[in-house]
Amino acid sequence: MGNNRVGLAGLLIALAAPFVNASPYALAVMTSTVIFVMLAAGLNIVVGYCGLLDLGYVAFFAVGAYTSGVLATRLELPLVATVPVVLVVTVIAGIVIGAPTLRLRSDYLAIVTLGFGEIIRISANNLDITGGPSGIYGIPPLTTSPVVFYYLTVAVVALAVLGAARLGRSRLGRAWRFVREDEDAAEAMGVHTYRIKLAAYIAGAVWGGLAGVLFASQLSAISPNSFTFLQSALVLMAVVLGGMGSVPGVVVGAIVISLLPEILRDLADYRFFLFGVLLIVFMLARPQGLWPARSKEPLT
Amino acid sequence: MTQLVWNGLFVGSFYTLVALGYSMVYGIIKLLNFAHGDLYMLSAFTGFAILGAFGGVPASMGLLALLAVLLVTMVASGLAGVALERIAYRPLRRAPRLSLLITAVGASFAVEYGMRAVAGADPQVYPVRLGGTAIEVFGARLTLQQLVLVGAAVALMAGLNLLVTRTREGRAMRAIALDPRTSSLMGIDVDAVISRTFFLGSALAGAAGVMAGAYYGKIDFLMGFLIGLKAFTAAVIGGIGNIPGTMLGGLLLGLLESFGTFWLGGEWRDVFTFGVLILFLTVRPTGLLGERVTERV
Amino acid sequence: MRAIPLKSIAAVAALGLLASGCGQGLLGQESGGEQHGPIVLGMLIPQSGSEASIGPYMSNAARLAVDEINAKGGVLGRKLELKTADDACDAQSATAAANKLVTEGVHVSVGGYCSGATLPTLPIFGKATIPMIIPAANSQELVDQKLEHVFMINGTGAQQAEAAQKWIAGQGGQRVALMHDNTSYSKDIALRTQSSLGAAAVTVEAVTPKESDYSANITNVLAKKPDFVYWTGYFQEGGLIVRQLRQAGYKGSIMVGDGSVSPKLAEIAGGEAAEGVYATMTQTPDTLEGAKGWIEAYKKKFNAEPGPYSNQAYDAVRLAAEAVGRAGGTDGAKVIAALEAIDGFPMFSGPLKFTPEHTLAGGGFQILVVKDGAFALQDSLS
Repeated sequence: MGNNRVGLAGLLIALAAPFVNASPYALAVMTSTVIFVMLAAGLNIVVGYCGLLDLGYVAFFAVGAYTSGVLATRLELPLVATVPVVLVVTVIAGIVIGAPTLRLRSDYLAIVTLGFGEIIRISANNLDITGGPSGIYGIPPLTTSPVVFYYLTVAVVALAVLGAARLGRSRLGRAWRFVREDEDAAEAMGVHTYRIKLAAYIAGAVWGGLAGVLFASQLSAISPNSFTFLQSALVLMAVVLGGMGSVPGVVVGAIVISLLPEILRDLADYRFFLFGVLLIVFMLARPQGLWPARSKEPLT
Repeated sequence: MTQLVWNGLFVGSFYTLVALGYSMVYGIIKLLNFAHGDLYMLSAFTGFAILGAFGGVPASMGLLALLAVLLVTMVASGLAGVALERIAYRPLRRAPRLSLLITAVGASFAVEYGMRAVAGADPQVYPVRLGGTAIEVFGARLTLQQLVLVGAAVALMAGLNLLVTRTREGRAMRAIALDPRTSSLMGIDVDAVISRTFFLGSALAGAAGVMAGAYYGKIDFLMGFLIGLKAFTAAVIGGIGNIPGTMLGGLLLGLLESFGTFWLGGEWRDVFTFGVLILFLTVRPTGLLGERVTERV
Repeated sequence: MRAIPLKSIAAVAALGLLASGCGQGLLGQESGGEQHGPIVLGMLIPQSGSEASIGPYMSNAARLAVDEINAKGGVLGRKLELKTADDACDAQSATAAANKLVTEGVHVSVGGYCSGATLPTLPIFGKATIPMIIPAANSQELVDQKLEHVFMINGTGAQQAEAAQKWIAGQGGQRVALMHDNTSYSKDIALRTQSSLGAAAVTVEAVTPKESDYSANITNVLAKKPDFVYWTGYFQEGGLIVRQLRQAGYKGSIMVGDGSVSPKLAEIAGGEAAEGVYATMTQTPDTLEGAKGWIEAYKKKFNAEPGPYSNQAYDAVRLAAEAVGRAGGTDGAKVIAALEAIDGFPMFSGPLKFTPEHTLAGGGFQILVVKDGAFALQDSLS
């Protein structure tokens, strides 16, 4: 598989980048980008592998960030200690959101996930324990050095991406793809589609939740404004732009979506205008995604 | 109580007008047109520019002038929708369905921030306002202008429904929604019909944009985002792709918001609305009037 | 359609990263803190996203101050330079933008509008010992951290709530309805006013910002039969709420918070509806003797009216210049000491002195009223 070599090359670039530019700005942008890669890898399990359109993925990101943030500030736990709790909570969140909705067909699933995303955000905005509209601040970082934190993030995310790729090739991954291609046929062949879909959902939730912990550590402060519908849409765009179901594609997509607005930052008022135009141009030029999955099956 | 119902219906009729375009486009090419709400915004600004160009309109002529502007803007908005389809959607007709989502979001960004570059980030205020004194009907306060707006919205919806169910054009649209390939074999010019669908849907959003501008008075470059989201929700509640269903969905969403605010307060309103929506969809997975179709693969 | 090779996209991304900093790798750190060249002021403001309309009010005013000071020869013989960056009112964008400003070597930060986006930037500027003069954001969380490099020149929520309560009580408000937009600033003022009013506050209603129709919220509020309504959010929604309250037949008093003090409020509400609306506000050019020239200069330069936080942004730049001048250079610690020592610096909100918490000693809130479509001074509450 060429993918291994591609992955290694990508990792090397990520590791070498701070030697080129380690200004606080470059490090902040690169760290955010790497965290975004993790989100995209997680959503890729749900959308790319299993074909479930999720418009509220940021809900899991928020659950992870808020769980670790609340525990770390209220109980004064170190952030690492919150990880097991975050895992449990995100799995529960995955089941709570997935269980009643996974029987729905794609577009209805989309609006329901969108609704859940909004419910989580508005609740975080209204509740006292989450700090209301201004959120939580003073979250102890995993490490105080931005360079060390960047490398830590790269390590965690590399493992997560590798894990997602492995999952995709596993028995479960084949079942996901089967469900995506033809749910009825899968059901007829004895695949328990509901349980399979729930598994994809839970896996996606865990990836998103862990990304949330990294996010909380990087920013030290989180507020509901970081978890809007737009954020969900951006993660989904990373997945689709890169190429649904393709791990290298999704990584590239995430990097583009996350870096592009920063590269365009100096254009000030025209920044998002150009961002929109470029998205259209990219997609027209490569309708299957920047780095599509090398599969003979058509993606629907 | 009647006041709550009236508030809900009034807001709901705006949602419906926008949702219809969403639903029609979705019905025919299965695209979530995220830029649809921005056409609503675009028309509000177009109407604003036209009214501004004519300078001071005498207050007595307000309603008539608005009607003329409404028609012009509907055409402009329809054409904008057709252009959008041509540039951003048609080249991807054979690409994976979600690829269109990217160009739709891209178009949404481009329209929003393009308008920001042209008109500035500051909100603008319409020169002609529909105010009016309230009258009391069954305990609800409403104004004549509100009635006119709702009347206009209902007329547009009825017209659309007639067009889709009674004309050749409508039959072609429904045929393409069912199966585009067979339709083209049957001699339907699929591209042309899709263009016309975009025209109609966008024109309705355009009407809503001008009406909202004239009634509420304030317009800004992001005004389309939230209503686009609401319209999508309304379309799904009603059964996306189904026109009478979408109308019901829009009104229902307006009512849900009105009663949600009353029962739980403004801050929990959207939680209530989405909560009901989720419960409703788990019980009835295809919306109010949607039909159960097996997904094509 | 031909495929665009991936490599070109990767190259663009890589170039972007490289272009942003040469010789700044892990192995070759440059040394900062040079005492020559322009004094760089950094300003984080929302230029995109939901709060995008606020950005220009603040950056224009800041630019006006910078140009005025430069026209007089700058500070310590050095010119001022203003760098603005978009925080999109979002924590992540704000973090990136703050780091960008730090990397570009700003000496003093004069921005900060959304509290939620400003909070994560505090440690970033703090680490580089860059003093922050925050013109708008003022939630309690910014104060609670007791950071020595953070100074707030906007009146606090507590001060504004106190002024509101005083005026409402003086007007004989018996049944007061409070309305806010569920953002930290607005909610904070509403809840503080509620607790100081006690039983007289009959309801608190939250609205969703950026919508057009608030009739459902207004029906809720009017069901409580209030004789005084206080809106603590911004003018976009404020104008609509004033109009819709009047349309719904509400006859009592209406008051709005400082975020709503803009000529647009009356425009959106429509002439008659806005007449007699009160506002709690720090001193503004509108109400200050001899400050008319400021508005004229602003209008002339930008062909637009100043808006919310224009005067605070203007003052933030002037204050930064003053502090750098007194510190004799741009050394962060010295500028912070100079800011702490300032006493009686003339600002729009009155003579400046910081409390030990680095907030304004006196909020200087007063009551304005809409007269003939414009805000005018009603009572200085002193």
